[in-house]
Parts: sequence; structure tokens; C-alpha cells
Amino acid sequence: MQALWRREKISNNTLMVVECDGPLDPARIRRALDGFLEICPWPVARLRRPFPWGKLHWAAGRRAVPGSLPLLHQRVDSPKLLHTMLEAELNAAIDPRREPPLRVSILYSPGGRDAVRTFLVFTWFHPLMDPRGAQNLLAHLAHIDQADGRAPWDGAPPAFVPEPDPRPLSVRGRMGRRSRAYMRALAPTPPVSPGSGVTTPGRARFLQASFVYRDPAGGRAKREICWRLALVGKAMAELWSRRGFPDEPFLLPISVDLRPKGDPGPTFGNMLAFHFARFRPSETADLAGLTLTLRRQMVEALRDGQIDANAVAMEFLTYRPLSLMLNDLPGTAARETFSFNCADLGDFPGSLEQLFGARVIDAYHAPSVLPRPGIGVFFNRCGKENNLVVSWIDGAVSEDEVTRIVEVIRAEMDWIEAH
Amino acid sequence: MSRRNAGESLTVIRLAPDAIIKVLTTFIDATIMARSHPVQPDDDLELAGLDSMALLKILLFIEAEYGFWMPDEDLVEENIRTVRALATYISRRRSES
Repeated sequence: MQALWRREKISNNTLMVVECDGPLDPARIRRALDGFLEICPWPVARLRRPFPWGKLHWAAGRRAVPGSLPLLHQRVDSPKLLHTMLEAELNAAIDPRREPPLRVSILYSPGGRDAVRTFLVFTWFHPLMDPRGAQNLLAHLAHIDQADGRAPWDGAPPAFVPEPDPRPLSVRGRMGRRSRAYMRALAPTPPVSPGSGVTTPGRARFLQASFVYRDPAGGRAKREICWRLALVGKAMAELWSRRGFPDEPFLLPISVDLRPKGDPGPTFGNMLAFHFARFRPSETADLAGLTLTLRRQMVEALRDGQIDANAVAMEFLTYRPLSLMLNDLPGTAARETFSFNCADLGDFPGSLEQLFGARVIDAYHAPSVLPRPGIGVFFNRCGKENNLVVSWIDGAVSEDEVTRIVEVIRAEMDWIEAH
Repeated sequence: MSRRNAGESLTVIRLAPDAIIKVLTTFIDATIMARSHPVQPDDDLELAGLDSMALLKILLFIEAEYGFWMPDEDLVEENIRTVRALATYISRRRSES
């Protein structure tokens, strides 16, 4: 959390919302949750720091008490009410020192003329796991549900947390220091963000929209992260222009999933490293040219080993306040972080098409963003649906500005409304 | 094929697509894929889970192994969709140079 907001109870929550085409039985989900907790207690762990000093770490007993994970089952009568409840979940900050870092909700709409829709919602304290970790957790729960009383995973559960880095501390220390030096040299001036002027943080908000490509064959090239980043930059540059912000370079972190491909990988803990993209708002006038520039930046970071080094630096920062990371970034004195956030969270696993007896229609993630930068744009896909989520902080940007950002991205993607 | 000396023939044999496929799949399986999910030459790399960053790692490997950087204009689906497509591209590029 940014030091500036230490006393403000800023939410570090993230949501995963899974929409199903039929009812979900809370007792069945409770059984799966309790079954998982018997094997893996991390969803009810507490974040602790040994007295009088020591590293922050997750602490949990060997066995969790059944029912110790909150499970809410509630009816929602309209899409508007659903959204209000989801935003309330995003804002109800989880204090991981005093309560489980995960909450599970089942929100269902009534039957009638419309088919029953049920939304399975995970709300978690962001450092517990990343979005892919949440998808893995859901897959584990589905597996336990399907095991139907038999020993899940034939009694040999997968690894839920990453293996420790086998390299000696001296090597990791050197890499971590190298990454810090690199971060300090990233930008000559502090970045500007929509949250720069925010002194009292407002509520966390989000807008989610689902699209499909107008031309189903045309989507592949537009999935490249550099192209998407350039496009989000274009939408932000428009906002910068309206606000009269200077043409100072954007600075933003791009998450790199460290899990080996083709396998779910670990569920809990950090499996992300970061690449830092830099470009001026004015460069977004040429999307194709900017895509090449961003690709070259990424190649150079890979070639120099900066992404590996950042992964190591992240390990040293594990569960520590973001302000420690900010010590190494430009603009720390002004409490700035990045210009905006942007990530492509990838595909919702096809293996989760069926869940607790219902069919998954759509799934997306909505992370809260910090008051600075105050806005983030997140992509993911579920089946043919392309989800776009914009998270923001009230006061940093307005709903109209967010709607315009969505429209700029939709038009360039050549997307049409999915529903 | 035009007349070549023994050294050139050896180069042509070494850079046959099948040999390149083997080198590429070994690299991808060792550094990008999970042990339980090795790639096959005709697997769609995106469907196999490779993202933009993984593709850039492959391009860096190609540069180190075969001595050239794949230019941006050649990063089109027909050249990068599968390991076989990449190998065919590398083979063609090398025989042109």
C-alpha cells in the first residue's frame, strides 16, 4: 500500500466473477471449500510478522476448521444491484492480519422470464495470489467436487505454492540489486497519473464489458500485449490531452507470468515479474510504430536479464508494502507510482466450462487500483468473449471518462457487443 | 540446387527444417513449457499457452542460435504459428543469405 494512504484502509482486493447459466448449490461449494482447506490451509491463513522483527509471511495451522472461510449466498434482483454488490466487495478491504484473505460469494438472480444466472465471486487480498492463481483455486475446488468423496488427486495433491529459488542468496542479492538500479534509471522524471491530484482517495469502481470480434478471424494479431498496450496508451493519451497533462513519458508495469506454460502451476504466492514500459502520449498517434517500440523495449529487458532480475527483486519484496518498491522508482518523493495499470490476464481455462453442475458463460477479473495511478485497464478472454475491465478510483477519473476509454479500445479492436 | 563445396552442403544439412525443429522444441520444452506439456512441431503455440513474452524468448534464442533477428514485418502468423512454421522460416532465411 502506498505510504500516503496508510491510514485510509485502502482496499487491496481483487475480484474474480464467474457467471454460470444455472443455480449453484452453496452446500456443494462449502463441501469443496472445506475439502480443499483440509489439504491446503492457505485461504484461511493470516499475514504475520514475527515479534519483534522478521519477514512478513502467511501463517496457518495444519488443518483449517470446516466452515472457517466466509461463504455468502445472496439473491440479487437486477444487474445494477449485482454491480453495486460487486463494487462493495471490492471496497470492503480485507485485513489479512485479522481475517481470512479470501471471501467467496454466490450471487443469484431470480428465475422467471429470464434464465437463472448465478455469479460465483472470489474476493481476495491481492498479494495472496494473482488472477491465474484464483483460476487454479477454482479448478482445485471443481476437482474436489468431482472427486465426490474419493481422495482428490489420488492422494497426491499438486504443489500449491512455488518452489523456493534454488540459487544462493548472494546470487539472488546481486540480481535484486541490479534490478533496483535498473528501476531507478527507468524514467528521468516522475510519471503523471490521473490520481496525481487525489488527496483523499475515493471508492474503488469498475466497469466491465464483453465483446466479440466483428471479424472472428481478425483477432490474433490484436492479442499481442505490445499492441494492446499501445492501444490502451492511445486511450489514455486522449484523457491526458483533455486534462492538459504534459507529454511526459508514461511509465507502467507489465506483469510477466513466470509459470511454465501448459500447466496450471502454483496457486498461492507471487508468480509474477514485471517489465516496465515507457512511451510518450504523443507516440500513440502511430499505433503500429509504438507497438514495435514497445516490443523492442521488451526484447532489450529480456536480453539484459532484467525480467529475471525483477523476479528475484519481487521475491525480496514479498508481502512488504508497495512503498518499498516505490523507493526505487522515479517520483517516490511525490508519492507517484505509475501512469496507469494495464494487463492481459489471458484465457479463462476451457477446462472450467462446467462448474458445480452449471455451465460457465463468462468470467472476468476486477482488481482494485491504488489511488495513484487511479486507473487500470485489464483484458481477459472466456470462450469467444473478450472482457474489458476498467478499474478506477472515484476522484481520479469520472465514469464518463472511463466510458470513453472503453469506446476507444473497442473501436480499434474492431469489437462489437457480445450480448 | 547449384554446385556447393563440402562445407556448404554440411550447412544445408544442418539447417534442414527437421533439424531446426528439434533444436527449437528442445529449447521451448526446456525453458518455456511445463515438463508435462512438451510441444509438438505442429502444435499451435498460442493454444499451447505461449504468450507474447514467450515468443520474444524464442526470437532471442533464434538470434543466438542462427545469427539473425526476425524482423517485425516477418512476425506474421504463417511464420510463427507453430514450431514447424518457425523452422521453415529459419531454413528459408538461412538459405537466402
